[in-house]
Amino acid sequence: MQLADQVLDKGDRGMTVQMLTTKAEQAILKSFEDNATDLPGGTAVAELRRAAIGAFASKGLPSRRVEEFKYTDLKANVKDVLPLAVGDASGSAGDGALSKHFAALAENAVSFVDGRGVAEKNGNKFLAGLLSSPPTWIMSALADKELAASADLLLNTALFTDGAVIDIAAGAEPTDPIVMVTSTPNNALTALRHVIRVGKGAKVTIVEIEQAPRTAGVRQSSALTQIEVADGAEVAHIKVVEARKGSLHLSHGQVSLGANATYSPFHMTVGDGLVRNSLNVFFNGQNTTFDFAAASIVHGTGHADTTLVIDHTVPHCTSRELFKTVLDGQARAVFQGKVIVRPQAQKSDGKQMAQALMLSPDTEFDSKPELEIYADDVVCGHGSTAAEIDSDLIFYCTSRGIPAPVARAMLIESFIGEAIAKVAHDGLREALTVFARESLTAV
Amino acid sequence: MLEIKNLHVKLEDEDKVILKGLTLTVPKGEVHAIMGPNGSGKSTLAYVLAGRDGYEVTDGDILWNGESIIGMEPDERAAKGVFLAFQYPMEIPGVAGLTFLRTATNAVRKRRDLPELSTPDFLKVVKEKAAKLNIDIQMLKRPVNVGFSGGEKKRSEILQMAMLEPTLCVLDETDSGLDIDALRIVSDGVNALRSPDRAMLVITHYQRLLNHIVPDKVHVLTDGRIQKTGGKELALELEKSGYADYTGKAA
Repeated sequence: MQLADQVLDKGDRGMTVQMLTTKAEQAILKSFEDNATDLPGGTAVAELRRAAIGAFASKGLPSRRVEEFKYTDLKANVKDVLPLAVGDASGSAGDGALSKHFAALAENAVSFVDGRGVAEKNGNKFLAGLLSSPPTWIMSALADKELAASADLLLNTALFTDGAVIDIAAGAEPTDPIVMVTSTPNNALTALRHVIRVGKGAKVTIVEIEQAPRTAGVRQSSALTQIEVADGAEVAHIKVVEARKGSLHLSHGQVSLGANATYSPFHMTVGDGLVRNSLNVFFNGQNTTFDFAAASIVHGTGHADTTLVIDHTVPHCTSRELFKTVLDGQARAVFQGKVIVRPQAQKSDGKQMAQALMLSPDTEFDSKPELEIYADDVVCGHGSTAAEIDSDLIFYCTSRGIPAPVARAMLIESFIGEAIAKVAHDGLREALTVFARESLTAV
Repeated sequence: MLEIKNLHVKLEDEDKVILKGLTLTVPKGEVHAIMGPNGSGKSTLAYVLAGRDGYEVTDGDILWNGESIIGMEPDERAAKGVFLAFQYPMEIPGVAGLTFLRTATNAVRKRRDLPELSTPDFLKVVKEKAAKLNIDIQMLKRPVNVGFSGGEKKRSEILQMAMLEPTLCVLDETDSGLDIDALRIVSDGVNALRSPDRAMLVITHYQRLLNHIVPDKVHVLTDGRIQKTGGKELALELEKSGYADYTGKAA
C-alpha cells in the first residue's frame, strides 16, 4: 500500500482515492516503479507517465461498475499482471499461426518483440526514439485528454515502451499495406503505443497483428493506436488478435476523422484468451464515412469484448457497424456499440448489426447497442441476433449430398464470411478467410 | 424401383400421426403423380423420403432399389440417387450458388466413385445446364436463393437436380408460385431428365402441372393413405370433382 500512496501523492491529489486492493493493480504499480527510469522519454513524457500512473492508481482496474466494462470486469478477472517486457528486441517473433497466414504481406512488417521495435522499415519510425523531444503532433497525441478517462488507457500511457510512428504524406497512396506485428514473449506484459497520421487525400491500408505463438505460456499486452485521418483520406485498418488461454490483450483505437474521409476498420479476434478491443471515433468533418466490421471466433473459456463509441459531432456523416461472432464451448462475446449524435449533427446516418452464432448451449453473447441521439433529423438503426445453426439449412445442404460436418462448416464460414467480405484488399481478405477457416476447424 | 410399404409416420415431438399405411410403387423409367388436399401428408411423404429430422417411422418401410433407406442420413440418400425438389427452397446467405453446387456435385460424385469435377469442367457443365433452364450464370454467383423470385428458386432447384443426376426425383409442389412461362421452363427441365433409369414422384395440388409433366400414373392421397390409383385421366377427374369423394367432405 505504501507504494500506491506514494504514487497517488504525486498524481491526482484532488480525486477520490480508491484503496488499491488487487494483486494485479499492485503489480502494475510495481512495474512502473521498477521501470520508471528506463522507460523512454524526456521530461514531458515522464511527467505524462507519472500523471497517468497516478490517475490509474486512484481508479484501479475497471470493474463491472464502470459501464464500458459492464461485461468485462478487469478488476475481477485479471488476477495478476506479468512483468513488463523491456528487452532489447533480440527475441524471435515466434511461430504464431498469424505469421504463417500473413507471411506474404508481413515481409516488410514493422515488428515488435519484447516490447521494442525490431527494424524500422519503409520510413516508418519507432516511437521510443522520438520521445526525448517528441514532435508537437506526437506529443499532443500522447497527451490527449480523452485517453485519461479510462484506466486501461492510463495503464498504456504509463508503461508503453515503444510503438510505430506512421506519417503518411498528403496524397500518398502506398501500394502495399503497412503491417505491424507484435509478439509478446511468454510470461510478460508488453505495452505499445502507435501514433499514426494520414495526410489529406492519402489512401492507405494499415494492419496490426497481435500473434500468439503455439508454444505454451501466457502473455499480456496493451496496444493503443491513435490515428488522425485528414480530409479526403481513405484508411482501411485491419486488426487481428490471437489470444490463447490465460492470456490478456487490451487494445484501443482512438481515431479522429476529417471531412470527406473514409475509415474502414476490421477486427478479427480468435482464440480462448481474454480480449478487449475498444474503439473511439470522432467525426470532425462532414461527409465522412466510418465502416466497421468485425469477425471473432472464440472457444473454450475465451472472452472477447468489442466496445465502440462513435461520436457524430458534425452533420452529414455515416457510420456502419457489422459485428459477427462464432462462439463455442463456454465462450463469451460482448458487443457494445455506442453511437452519439450531437445536437448539431443533423443528417447523421448510423446503422449497427451484431450477430452471434452459438455452437454450444453454454456460450454467452452480450449485445448492447446504445444510441444517444440529440439531433432530430437523423437515420439510426440497430439490430442484434443470437442463434444456433439453422437445422433446416443443414437439412437442405445434406439433402444435396453434402455431409453434415461439411455443411456445418460451410454455414459457419459463410456467417463469418459476411464480415470478412468487407475487407477490400484482396490478399488480406483471402488470408483472413483462410485464417478463419482454420480457426473454425480448430474450434 | 421405389417401394413404399405400409408406411406409418408420426411427428417426433407430437402424437400426431400423418401417414397411416401408405403403400406405393414407382418403377424406374416412370413418372407418378401424387395428388391430394392440404394436410393429406404429401409434404411429409416428400420429407420422409429425403430423410428430414422430426418424423418417426412407426411401421412399414421405404425401399429404394431393394434397400431400405429408413435410418439413412439425407446425404447418404442423396449419394444413392434420392433428390427432393423443395416446395420452399431455402436461402443460404453467404454461400455463393456456384460454391454450393460444386460442393454438392463433387460430394455426391465422390460417394458414387466418380471423379470430382475440376473447376473448368464443372463450370462448363453448369453453364450448359443453366442455359437450358434460362438461368443466368451471374445469378449463381449470388448467395443460394437469396433475393430470388419464386420462379428463380424453382429453376435453381431443377438445376441442382440436373447437376446431381439423381435416379429418384421427388418434386414437392414444384408448380406452386410459378407463372405460366416459368411453369413451362421448369417442366421442360424436368422432362429433359426423364429417362429409363429414373423414377419420378411429382407431388401437386393441381392438374395443371401434369399437362406439362405427363405422368404414367396418378395416386390420390388423403388422410395418410393412397385412396385410388389411375392413369393420367384421374387427374382431370379430380380437377372436376375435387377430393370430396375420397375424404367424405368437400376439400
